Amino acid sequence: MDSLTLLVFLPLLGALLVALTPKSATGAQRAITLLTMLVTMVLGLQVCLDFNGASAAMQHLVDVPWFSLPGGSGVDIPVHFKLGLDGISVLMVALTALLGPIIVLSTWGHIHERVKEFMVWLLVMQTGMLGVFLALDLVLFYVFWEVTLVPLYFMLGIWGGERRLYATIKFFLYTLAGSLVMMIGVILLLYQTKTADIEALMNLAPTLDSTRQTWIFWSFALAFMIKVPVMPFHTWLPDAHTQAPTSGSVILAGVLLKMGTYGLLRFCIGMFPGPALDAAPIMMVLGALGIVYGAFLAMAQHDIKRLIACSSVSHLGYVVLGLFALNQAGVRGSVLQMVNHGLSTGLLFLLVGMIYERRHTRMLDQYGGIAKVMPLYALFFGIAVFSSVGLPGLNGFVGEYMILLGSFQASPWIAAVSVTGVIFGAVYLLMATRKLLFGPLTHAENKGLNDINWREAGLMLPIVVLCFWIGVAPNVFLSRTDASVDQLLSRIDAQRAKVALVEPHSSVPSTAATIRAGETR
Amino acid sequence: MNKQVLEQMLNPAALAALSPLFTLCGGAMLLLLADILPGLAKLRSALFLATIAVAGWFAWDNLGAPAGGHIFGSFQHSTALSNWTLVFLASALIGWAVAQCYYQSEEANFLAEHDVLILVATAGMVLMAGAGDLLTFFVGLETLSVPLYTLSGFRRARRESVEAGLKYFVLGAFAAGMFLYGAALVYAATGTITIEGMRAAGAALSSPLALAGFALIAGSLFFKISVFPFHLWVPDVYQGAPTPVTAFMATGTKAAAFAFLLSMMGSAGSKPLLPESAALVFAWIAVITMGVGNLGALVQSDLKRMLAYSGIAHAGTMLLAIASGWHDTQPGGAQNAILYYMGAYVFTAGGAFGLIAWLESEGGPVTMDSIKGLAQRRPMIAAALALFMLSLGGMPPLGGFWGKYLVFSCAVRADMIPLAVIGVLMSVIALGYYLRVIINMYMQPSAATSQHPLAARKGSMLAVGICSLMVLVLGVMPRWFLDLIG
Repeated sequence: MDSLTLLVFLPLLGALLVALTPKSATGAQRAITLLTMLVTMVLGLQVCLDFNGASAAMQHLVDVPWFSLPGGSGVDIPVHFKLGLDGISVLMVALTALLGPIIVLSTWGHIHERVKEFMVWLLVMQTGMLGVFLALDLVLFYVFWEVTLVPLYFMLGIWGGERRLYATIKFFLYTLAGSLVMMIGVILLLYQTKTADIEALMNLAPTLDSTRQTWIFWSFALAFMIKVPVMPFHTWLPDAHTQAPTSGSVILAGVLLKMGTYGLLRFCIGMFPGPALDAAPIMMVLGALGIVYGAFLAMAQHDIKRLIACSSVSHLGYVVLGLFALNQAGVRGSVLQMVNHGLSTGLLFLLVGMIYERRHTRMLDQYGGIAKVMPLYALFFGIAVFSSVGLPGLNGFVGEYMILLGSFQASPWIAAVSVTGVIFGAVYLLMATRKLLFGPLTHAENKGLNDINWREAGLMLPIVVLCFWIGVAPNVFLSRTDASVDQLLSRIDAQRAKVALVEPHSSVPSTAATIRAGETR
Repeated sequence: MNKQVLEQMLNPAALAALSPLFTLCGGAMLLLLADILPGLAKLRSALFLATIAVAGWFAWDNLGAPAGGHIFGSFQHSTALSNWTLVFLASALIGWAVAQCYYQSEEANFLAEHDVLILVATAGMVLMAGAGDLLTFFVGLETLSVPLYTLSGFRRARRESVEAGLKYFVLGAFAAGMFLYGAALVYAATGTITIEGMRAAGAALSSPLALAGFALIAGSLFFKISVFPFHLWVPDVYQGAPTPVTAFMATGTKAAAFAFLLSMMGSAGSKPLLPESAALVFAWIAVITMGVGNLGALVQSDLKRMLAYSGIAHAGTMLLAIASGWHDTQPGGAQNAILYYMGAYVFTAGGAFGLIAWLESEGGPVTMDSIKGLAQRRPMIAAALALFMLSLGGMPPLGGFWGKYLVFSCAVRADMIPLAVIGVLMSVIALGYYLRVIINMYMQPSAATSQHPLAARKGSMLAVGICSLMVLVLGVMPRWFLDLIG
């Protein structure tokens, strides 16, 4: 069996196995899940290590005909089961594979009821997420994209907090509305090009009529912007994050939101360079607004989990900003920042989950001075916060710096606004850290808290190692993505040249021209 | 003249085309006979299943046969007809399997009649789908309707059942009258009742008289497929009728009326009978139907009633494919899309109604409250119901998704993109109530204990099992069914 097919369906197989166990055998269920996730992780990391970063071509290709859809005028559109890995997906696949066992280990602490169901959904989720990043057929991608909705819906709805039903419906319907509009875009694109192959579409989609391209672009962009979430569509996220169980939050922050930014890069930018150039100013402004607005939202929170959720809005604003800077520094930085955010925010959610399991409150004013009783916890928390804030030497710095560099080249003003987000980010995260960890131990309940145990430290350790590794040697990771990112950008440059040919003496500096001007360094 | 008639009736091609119909009618008669002959009554189930199996085999055998008219063009054979026949048979089989052990003692004495009525109604569906002229269709329509009126009132000891039967009968008779009036007007305008003849009639089709006639015919078809503004009977009748009958009625009847609507609206390679301006009328009716169905379903607490409204919404969605028939660039696109949609719907809605029939044995109607915590009490039933809800909502990789995908592709190909967008946003509303079922089953604490233990019902179990499997197979392996449709 091909390695990628195995990688995608192994978790599903594990889910079937777990489903067959008797309900009370929670130990066996946890063991099977952990084992499956570990094997998936090894397989996934192996595939990513085998990946040749010097080539922009799809690697480890799997291509099996699946079925045909009617495409108008009697033409059939073949739909394939096609998987492949390139520089855009390689880091995301590695991140998803790595977080799998960590998430399973974290459930030891907070999932005690209906363990079997939870493990099944966790494994189904893993299949869906890996499928999203690996799919090279648009229809297949769409199927995986929708499949990821259901497991999280159950995780939130069954194991979530007190307002879980509200959050789960909101999350589901919000995201679904976006994906269904995308479905119309998919249908239109397929009908126009008569193919569902993503590689072929990269070449065919830019040849379509430009208004049509713009419509399809926005139908895709809407779905991805809701998923990221970009600023005006972000309201579902704080609710979902706050109500989700820790493992759900880690999946959501670690991988699920990245599906949105991944989609923006792979589809919106990769397939529609023209509309992407036109939309770049709007998207950059939305990204910058998200950075600042998310930061202000975070500052106003008393609930530590909600605070981190709002910080996600802010941090993902950077990713969108960098992607739509549409230059090398910006896009490379964004690809790296997707991983960084997955690691550091994932780590923060794990840490918040651990303290919640001990104290059963998320309110910041219930804490204070925790560092005295839980020194190891404080150490991990500090690393997570500094990684999130972007301290040099840690991963967040590299990504944010590259993004800001890229966006400065594209538009100095937007970059200037965005850079304030770095300051605000430091403000709210450090303030939260102070309230949580330092100061006097005012609450008697906090005096008897146990420090983190071996399991908890062990599951966080790989993330911490990676945070330092990316911070010190980012090229190890970036080198795998460069070829693909450059290829993508060369298409954008070709489009820029085409626009320049059409309107050589445009008196009003068009938005694309502003970006062009920034490019010539 | 007599010789000519005989030749038309007895030529092998005509016999082959009509074989599923003959099998169903013959099976019904044998069942009636067996019921009165001493000692043969216990053959009831075997006879019913054999009839369905033989009819299914004939229909399968007919799949590749050349399309064409038989018996003076009054019965039109096509691959689509064979597919539709298979859909009707599946619907009959599900309805029948769910009905086993469903009825209490006083009704159980009439189970042979029950089975006969299902077979006759199925024969009516085949006749409707294959009708080449308006009169044949009317015969089919009545052959379907009269057994269904009876079946709706089959639990005659229960007021709701009798009320449902009466309501269905009165409104159904009205719709039948509308159809006849419309057929008369069309005949007056075009001088023919065959569909082929009408297609050749040219300008006469656009005359006000013909248009009025078509409007009346469409109205009566809309009644059967439960489309706005002829949908109001649906919730009451679906709720009041015995649940197995609802399962059969909700899926089979709708499919049959759609099959004839499709042959009027132009199957593969032919233009719709109605002028192009009708496209917009159909499109708006489709959108309004989706709205009425989805918003209506949102506020229901009885599951049967909710599924009735959701059925209205699904009919509206399928009508969108018909509305795009005028400009669809894919020959037979609407036909294929609706066949797939309906095929998936038969198993999904059939399975869901089947589960409800089964759960009713716990006592009382199945409501949003009574299913609270079902996942803890009956994990398998809850899982199956959740699967059906997600498929009805069109989540991949389940059968309902591809049906939805195909229908919306018709609209996109016909350049009706705004309508397609409205349509998909309606399905966001739909997910609102489908998810509520799942929420209540999985995310709410268990409700008050049931009055009776759940009855063991092999028929229901088998039907639901097959339905779940089909929903999955239709979703994961759409190729098999798309190849079948052609």
